[in-house]
Amino acid sequence: MDPIVVVGSGASGVHFALTALRKGRRVTMLDVGHTGPESVRPGDTLNGLKQNLADPVGYFLGARFQSLVLPGHSGEYYAFPPAKEHVFQARNEFQLQASGFSPLYSFAAGGLAETWTGGCYPFDEGDLSAFPFGYKELAPYYAQVAERIGITGTADDMAAVFPVHDGLMEPLELDEHSAVLLDSYARHRDYLNAKFQCLLGRARVAALSRDLGSRKACSYTGRCLWGCPSQAFYTPSVTLAECQAYPEFQYMAGLYVDHFRMDAADQVRSVVAYSVGGETHEFATGSLVLAAGTLCSSKIFLESMFRAKGKVLELRGVMDNRQILMPFVNLRMLGRRWNPNSYQYHQIAIAVRPPNSESIHALVTTLKTGLIHPIVQALPFDLGTGVSIQRQIHGALGLVNINFPDHRRDENCMTLDVASTPHRLVVHYRPESNEPDRLTRTIATFRKILLKLGCLAPLRTVHVRPMGASVHYAGTLPMSDQPGPLTCSRHGAHHEIQNLYFADGTTFPALPAKNVTFTLMANATRIAEEAF
Amino acid sequence: MNTVQLERECRSYARYLIGQAPSAYVIGKYRDVHLLSDAAALDGFDRFLVRVSARGPFWARMADTYATRFRENSAVHKKLVLMLALLECSPSSFEIVEQVQGGGFAGTVLLLGREVVRYMLVLIISIVVFTPVRLAMALSSRTGPAEARQP
Repeated sequence: MDPIVVVGSGASGVHFALTALRKGRRVTMLDVGHTGPESVRPGDTLNGLKQNLADPVGYFLGARFQSLVLPGHSGEYYAFPPAKEHVFQARNEFQLQASGFSPLYSFAAGGLAETWTGGCYPFDEGDLSAFPFGYKELAPYYAQVAERIGITGTADDMAAVFPVHDGLMEPLELDEHSAVLLDSYARHRDYLNAKFQCLLGRARVAALSRDLGSRKACSYTGRCLWGCPSQAFYTPSVTLAECQAYPEFQYMAGLYVDHFRMDAADQVRSVVAYSVGGETHEFATGSLVLAAGTLCSSKIFLESMFRAKGKVLELRGVMDNRQILMPFVNLRMLGRRWNPNSYQYHQIAIAVRPPNSESIHALVTTLKTGLIHPIVQALPFDLGTGVSIQRQIHGALGLVNINFPDHRRDENCMTLDVASTPHRLVVHYRPESNEPDRLTRTIATFRKILLKLGCLAPLRTVHVRPMGASVHYAGTLPMSDQPGPLTCSRHGAHHEIQNLYFADGTTFPALPAKNVTFTLMANATRIAEEAF
Repeated sequence: MNTVQLERECRSYARYLIGQAPSAYVIGKYRDVHLLSDAAALDGFDRFLVRVSARGPFWARMADTYATRFRENSAVHKKLVLMLALLECSPSSFEIVEQVQGGGFAGTVLLLGREVVRYMLVLIISIVVFTPVRLAMALSSRTGPAEARQP
């Protein structure tokens, strides 16, 4: 019997594969699989690295100083760690043209989630209203994934929007700033609930508060942004390594999957991939599972349909979460010393539920161990004055990352440009016409919420990220119980090509304002468990 | 590439930003960046600001204050940002970059007030000192190319 061929080793692919392997299935995973450097000096804290590394500037700014952020840059508030550059290393075969959309994609082993910030937020019944299944059917898989990867969290006010599933570990230790924010919320809770329908509580994050298998609990080295040295912080490469322990698993890296071939009965017969040297490889398959992320899976599907039928299809309904970054200063934290040896990603989550509208979800990161030179140069002073001020306010700085929901709309689509060589994926995206009003209202609401919490958010520092920046892409071949062209079954099977499955966000019929990664993992697990 | 000039800049900038001389490691890195980067031609006034800023921390502050206000993306400001990035990643100096003075909210307000007053004073002095130089350079560069065009 031919193995199940899985394309992609991201969050969806590895959880699909591990579930199938545990059921005794043979799995071949095809992946480009770029990898990064080994972790350095795992016992050191962040400041220990600065003190002890032979070339700390090379580690933090890169050998070519590529992470240096100079005036005039158009980037964001973080300098991207050189150790994670492999995540966005391109392959020439994948060409993309986009309008209204600035997509990111990855060919790394572990995929885009190698750079995620660990937010694990289950979709609730309302979030899943457009899906062909509800929370009750997905809950066991959330719990299964939580037990696999280790998720910390608690049942606080946020339980109203983040269902509490099994398998949660006790929360991580709070840093001082996050504790101050929670304390402020406790004092103004009734007002914030009533005035803004605002809830605030502990984040759910994929980081261990106690040992799990060979992975050790978070040791608070402050190195999260630079790559957790102990695997306490989960990335899909942890699960990929777990898959590789199975003799029935074959991981084939260095291969770019271009298309699949079908037989006369419109069933997938084989998968065609190219190696770095340009050699063509063909793999027979009983079932093909595309888990390369919405962009790459859609591209493989479009390319295959063009080769098989001579038709250039248009996949409608591509979605992404609009995001706003809102830096703030917490007045209660001004001039206070802070501990760099703490968990660095978000520890606080906020939900706002405007009347007659969908929830908006935000994550609060208290900036501590990111490089400061991008921040100091943004202050309206000379650099010397900026450094003095920064010393006093660093512990008080924070960043709210606000997420908005998205819905499938026909005008947002993907197609293939077959006039170019190689064929190019074309993405068109246009936000809803009322979006500017909505963003303005939301920014005003969050500034008021922050003010009530004792924080100032200067308007001129608010940054509306371009569409595509959240990398929560979804929706081009949606799941539906009603068979139709360019749709999939509730198990991610293409309605017309029955041994073709999509285990990633391609099949999501809606995109709530939550980090999608946890649901991608749970859904891929569900598909492997129920359909194979 | 004038390595003596680069070292002079590096020493002046480190003393301006953290009040200490840079380590040999930081000086080496500062030199490396300049070796790697495309040395875009600076205009006369940018070159002047860089030269002046290398004279010492006071002049570095003057040049940077003026540049931040009136010369967006100037070479001197970029060099100072580079210097800060090197200092915040390097042994010993990273601790000084991050050193909180404490004092809570009140202490921060006092410090902020002091820094803003100093900034305003330096800004005024820098305008008085650098604006005539800039005007003179602009005028001479206008006449310069015209002369060069003559056969």
